[in-house]
Amino acid sequence: MSQHDDAIGFEQFERFVEEWSRRDFLRNVGIGTAYLAFLAGGLEFLEACAGGTSTSSGNVKEGGHIVEASIADLKNWNSVLTTDYTSQQMISMINDALYCVDSNGNLFPLVAKDKPQVSSDGLTYTVSLRQGIKWNDGQELTADDVVFTYQLMYDPTYTAVNSPRRGDLSQYLESATAKDKYTVIFKTKTVYAPFAVIHLASNNYTILPKHVLGNLAAADINTASYNSAPTVTCGAFNFVSWEKGSQVTLKKNPNYYRGAPHLDNYVFKIGGTSTTVLNQMKTGEIDIAFPGIGAIDPSQFDAAKSVDTINVYSYPRLSFDFFAFQLDPAKPASQLFSDKNVRQALVYALDRTAIAHALYFDQATVAGTSMPPASWAYNKDNQPQYKFDKAKAMAMLDAAGWTSSGGSTRTKNGATFKFTMITNAGNKVRENLLVVLQQQWKDIGVDATPSYVDFNKVLVPAITDTRNFDMFMVGFIWGPDPDQSALWHSRNARKGGFNGMQYKNPDLDKVLDDAVGTLDHNKRKQLYFQMQQILAEDQPAPILTFPNGILGLNKRVQNWQYGTFIQRGAYLKDVFVTDGK
Amino acid sequence: MLATIPTLFGVTSISYFLIWVTAGDIVPGVEINPYIKQEDIDRIRHNLGLDQPFWLQYLNWLGLPNLAQQLHLIGGTWPKGILEGDFGRSLVDGSPVIDHIVERLPNTLELTTTAILIGVLLAIPLGVTGALRRGSKIDHALTAMSVAGVAVPSFWLALILVLVFSVQLRAWGLPALPSSGAYSPLVGFDPLDRLSHLVLPALVLSFGYLAIWSRFGRSSMLEVLSQDYVRTARAKGMSERRVVYIHALRNAVIPLVTLIGLELPALVSGGAVVEIVFGWPGIGRFALDRAFGHDYTAVMGIVTFAAILVVLGNLLADILYAILDPRVRYT
Repeated sequence: MSQHDDAIGFEQFERFVEEWSRRDFLRNVGIGTAYLAFLAGGLEFLEACAGGTSTSSGNVKEGGHIVEASIADLKNWNSVLTTDYTSQQMISMINDALYCVDSNGNLFPLVAKDKPQVSSDGLTYTVSLRQGIKWNDGQELTADDVVFTYQLMYDPTYTAVNSPRRGDLSQYLESATAKDKYTVIFKTKTVYAPFAVIHLASNNYTILPKHVLGNLAAADINTASYNSAPTVTCGAFNFVSWEKGSQVTLKKNPNYYRGAPHLDNYVFKIGGTSTTVLNQMKTGEIDIAFPGIGAIDPSQFDAAKSVDTINVYSYPRLSFDFFAFQLDPAKPASQLFSDKNVRQALVYALDRTAIAHALYFDQATVAGTSMPPASWAYNKDNQPQYKFDKAKAMAMLDAAGWTSSGGSTRTKNGATFKFTMITNAGNKVRENLLVVLQQQWKDIGVDATPSYVDFNKVLVPAITDTRNFDMFMVGFIWGPDPDQSALWHSRNARKGGFNGMQYKNPDLDKVLDDAVGTLDHNKRKQLYFQMQQILAEDQPAPILTFPNGILGLNKRVQNWQYGTFIQRGAYLKDVFVTDGK
Repeated sequence: MLATIPTLFGVTSISYFLIWVTAGDIVPGVEINPYIKQEDIDRIRHNLGLDQPFWLQYLNWLGLPNLAQQLHLIGGTWPKGILEGDFGRSLVDGSPVIDHIVERLPNTLELTTTAILIGVLLAIPLGVTGALRRGSKIDHALTAMSVAGVAVPSFWLALILVLVFSVQLRAWGLPALPSSGAYSPLVGFDPLDRLSHLVLPALVLSFGYLAIWSRFGRSSMLEVLSQDYVRTARAKGMSERRVVYIHALRNAVIPLVTLIGLELPALVSGGAVVEIVFGWPGIGRFALDRAFGHDYTAVMGIVTFAAILVVLGNLLADILYAILDPRVRYT
């Protein structure tokens, strides 16, 4: 997130040059004009479709290559060490995890033979591996490799490994052991429903070759040559070269255990900005701009659509943008927000349909609930929905004792309804959002002042550490599992947790705990419906929108599957190019 | 020469302090990610030594404790530092910083050298032309171009050139230039391919130089042309061509050479913006990437490397100046 935010400032100028459309103009001249755009907007809103496949002509062509854009460079080829999305996506081209996730968010076996066998107490996952998988140096991939990979992230002997997954994994994983050459047994500390989807099926957990890395001391894993030149791999493509800052070249693994890919080569072209990526899609230098890596910006969606050699798809991702109220009674701003009727009123005062149109260029869904619409736990009929209703907002504030005379700022018992909103400087969408919020709340007699702060130095500490804020705005990215404890559970109100607003609701805590404490899918779904209901009522941190991801594909690329959940490992070998070049 | 040591010390300590003050932290806590815990952040910061006080991090980066330990002044084990020629390892990928620099330096040099050459080769004739036809339409046009060259931001010019020479030409079915990168994917070393990638970024980068240098060339030429010895040459009945190109030009070029000499450090640092717009895999872009990525050691490595080159570049310019202009030679 931070990285893309940083890049945005520079790109503004460029887009300004290329597309002097009304929208772009607004986006670039910045915050002052944003509200005017917003007033002029407010048209219909299109719901994005959730996923699909780039149409296949039926005749598969062998050979050829694809060039994919990557604005940021890869950081590290070692799955145990990475956190950034770009590296994770590139790693999933060359190494497989036990599972990945299919278009419905379900487990899709890769190195594993089929779904894990879960014991009746829900604590033990037995995973059978496919037999005969070979690393590309001819060694067999066995349960030892799998166990070794997980040891790097949870076993105390490896704490010197700079894996950011240790805390999360060791909270749930008791042990990972090899029962025999092709069977791995995972024991969890408690029943934890998201375990398989998050810890067995993510690009963060691709399997590493023990015969290459197993002899290294823990601290040496951090600087292993494998991290920059992973020559021993098991995935659909083999590593050829990483010319830093320039390109990553991969070639097909003819012995890939799920069948050789159709493509001969796969190239990531590194660098540029969303504007230059779109230019290169027009010229055919780039075939794929994947959301989060070679992103086409929402403001460029229409321009990209108009190019006849490329298909553009827009679909929801598992993220949302929200603002959060200060609810800690020790902080002065909580005097304003402790009454939930006030919080509700502030949400009613926002015309989010117009916001999605004017600030996200329609490439976002207005949030009717805290669950991303693509999730299986999403309740589209969640109530209340908070349709824009200024009169109702004002009436609710009056009833809550916050009164105003003649359009002045509301007061209650001598206190004025006045606070500061913070978000990260440089993120234009968020900066504009705060201006719109300021205006819309001003209309109901609430005085909110935007303030733009540094992401790393101020915003993150304000959320997870000092908690010195009245209101903050930020985005949050979820995994494929609907568990949202990280944001809402009172446990995470402690230092370092993301419940920065200090929201504490014992009923909700119980719902969240129950929902991860059972493996019964239907029961979980019911519980998450309850969660959405409680949050809609309490509004500790109102969700504004679910922004879309935008995928650009050259029309010669076939069998590319896209969607909220699906990971490329599931279909990569099937992708081909119509001209075979 | 001795002045370079305090200079380098000042540059590195101030840069280190600035990065420390502004950059925030490398550790993945900067991503709001529900699967990363505070204990991971604390543990990784400790492993990377980022939990140490600022002054100790800087001393370690210099390598002073390690030197002291080797002299048996203190005990313990300390990392090697810049004083022993070790640029350290990237906080992001654990690889040696010097490898990154060595890998990208040739790309940057290729781009900036070409740009400076184009600038020099065009600036001198343009400056002479402007001076000889002072007040003419050509002179006015050249002046306008110079003003534009200084005023137009390079990223804007870059995008316009890309739109014309990459996107539009291709749309019309004509041969077009590549818009990004230093070479085509999957093509081995091919001089023509590399050249085609070099054209646009080198032109953009040279435009700024061209604008300034041609102005200097023009005014310097004007000055020289009004000197006595030029009048003498003309009075002797020499052809105008000989007067201008043999007698005047040589002297008119001297201030220009100094100016170009001062641009030598820009060989390394001058192209960052152009590198970004054109996706050119050079040092400037790397520095910016890593600055955004909070990779202290990588940024410090590049800053130090550039500082050394600036010092050397200034020294070289001084020497060149002395060679070309006997009047400033030390006695």
